[in-house]
Amino acid sequence: MRLDISSSRRPGADRARLIRVAASRHLLAGLLTCAAGIASASEPGTPAPSVSLHGFGTLGLTRAHGGAEYIRDLSQPDGAGSSWSAKVDSLLGLQANVELSPRTEAVAQVVSRHRYDGGYRPELTWAFLRHDFSPDFSLRAGRLGTEFYMLGDSRLVGYANTSIRPPPDFYGSLVFSYIDGIDAAMTWPAGSGLLRGKLFAGKSPEQAPFAAGIAWNLRGSPLIGGHLEYLDGNWQIRFSHASVRFDKETPTDALLRALGDPLGGVPYLSLVPEMAMADTWARFNALGLVYDQGPLRIEWMLNRIDQEGPAYADSRAGYLLASYRLGEITPYLGISRSYTPTSRLPSSPIPGLDAITASLVGQSRIDQRTVTLGGRWDFHKNLALKAQIDRVEGKPSSLFLVKHPAADWDGNLTVYSLALDFVF
Amino acid sequence: MRAPLPLLLGLLVFATAPAVADPVVVVSARGDVQRLDREDVVNIFLGRYRRFPDGSTARPVDQPEFSPTKAAFYRKLVNKDLNEINAYWARLVFSGKTPPPARVASAEEVATFILATPGGIGYLARDQVDARFRIVLELPR
Repeated sequence: MRLDISSSRRPGADRARLIRVAASRHLLAGLLTCAAGIASASEPGTPAPSVSLHGFGTLGLTRAHGGAEYIRDLSQPDGAGSSWSAKVDSLLGLQANVELSPRTEAVAQVVSRHRYDGGYRPELTWAFLRHDFSPDFSLRAGRLGTEFYMLGDSRLVGYANTSIRPPPDFYGSLVFSYIDGIDAAMTWPAGSGLLRGKLFAGKSPEQAPFAAGIAWNLRGSPLIGGHLEYLDGNWQIRFSHASVRFDKETPTDALLRALGDPLGGVPYLSLVPEMAMADTWARFNALGLVYDQGPLRIEWMLNRIDQEGPAYADSRAGYLLASYRLGEITPYLGISRSYTPTSRLPSSPIPGLDAITASLVGQSRIDQRTVTLGGRWDFHKNLALKAQIDRVEGKPSSLFLVKHPAADWDGNLTVYSLALDFVF
Repeated sequence: MRAPLPLLLGLLVFATAPAVADPVVVVSARGDVQRLDREDVVNIFLGRYRRFPDGSTARPVDQPEFSPTKAAFYRKLVNKDLNEINAYWARLVFSGKTPPPARVASAEEVATFILATPGGIGYLARDQVDARFRIVLELPR
């Protein structure tokens, strides 16, 4: 059933890719030129911009027993089965920060990881210019990481996170990693703490895996959102919202062709127009609470994703993760849950079509819980070794965050993971 | 003559005391800032909010990476070890947010930064503080 990925290597696709790469380079070059202009205009006679290079990465090994492949998030087309696999968590990121003035910085970051098309081709994940108009107001423009949920914009930086990967039940449904757009961040002292807010708007430049060898093009989809948070002493609480309008249809017909063309070439949406995704909105709302007191850290978050159309299932998720540092060792324990509320599917008088519709929507249904137990060992500066066991218990119909389930899969997985996280 | 054991232990503790010298938070004595509370210093050094109570911009500087004063400062300020502080900054740096405090190569450069930078603020071992500095926060043991 698997389509050969090489079939996408048409001359046209190559040219499109070259244009995209060139466009990314132009975006970056334009930003840097513009940044240099701002810097020289605002601070004449400043010394040459200082450049610093940084990096982060993870060498990870994962195996999942139980009859399905385990993935970290929806951007991954396949995952780890019953033999050790490095593809779930391994990645490398490189970042250049160019300080153009004490208040202006240009940043570019590329990340190589197991991506939607099964390859590891590096992606430009961040490329922006930030200007701090004051200590409490800054603007960024360019390519920006998405921050739908608290900690969401640093979910690839293993060293910054307690567990090997942020709980997939909560973060795994995010296919949007970055946008091309702008954001604004503000801070106000309030009471004994700080009130902080952020607004962002932009368009997605990304693709997401839809089925084996078939990607869903998210490019051009507008995203808007923001958050409001309050920090006081050891407490941080945040409400976040994001909305996305899908610009393009899911490649349903390509999937059906790959599955033997049950509709004989008739476009699926011409038969079930309610299943259209293009121009429908998805709304993400989340509440996050972090308590961080010396060696103790507790993260508690809830989210809900509501789809305007029926083609993609809604979801609710939450997690609790607690860790306590004992010298160089930090044990942690987490529980998470994700489920799809009941929904009504569009029906059709055409025989067999309802089964196809149910199976299409079924790909995005989820009903599972995970218990996570692990430890982090900070054995050397900027290096951390982690070991983790996840026990996923769900229904066999909980297909959203697994790949290639066996016919007799019971919905449960036991996942063993090792990771070496580093920053430099 | 044999020295009593408690005295020997006391000498040992005294001899190792400079390694965990009591850090104090300082600004230039010529600046306007008189006192800060712990929360102000947390906000400034963790990059949450870099303003002094009078509204002027604060520019923090860290001691060099392996300085015992740095470890003692973060231990006393937020009860975190330097690995945790590094992980904290990794999150902010790789998500394009506030940069960490300025980094310099030696304790002398820390002093120079505090005195020469408008809004400069840093921490020193108490025995390094002289008349050029004003202590704005003491961190009790």
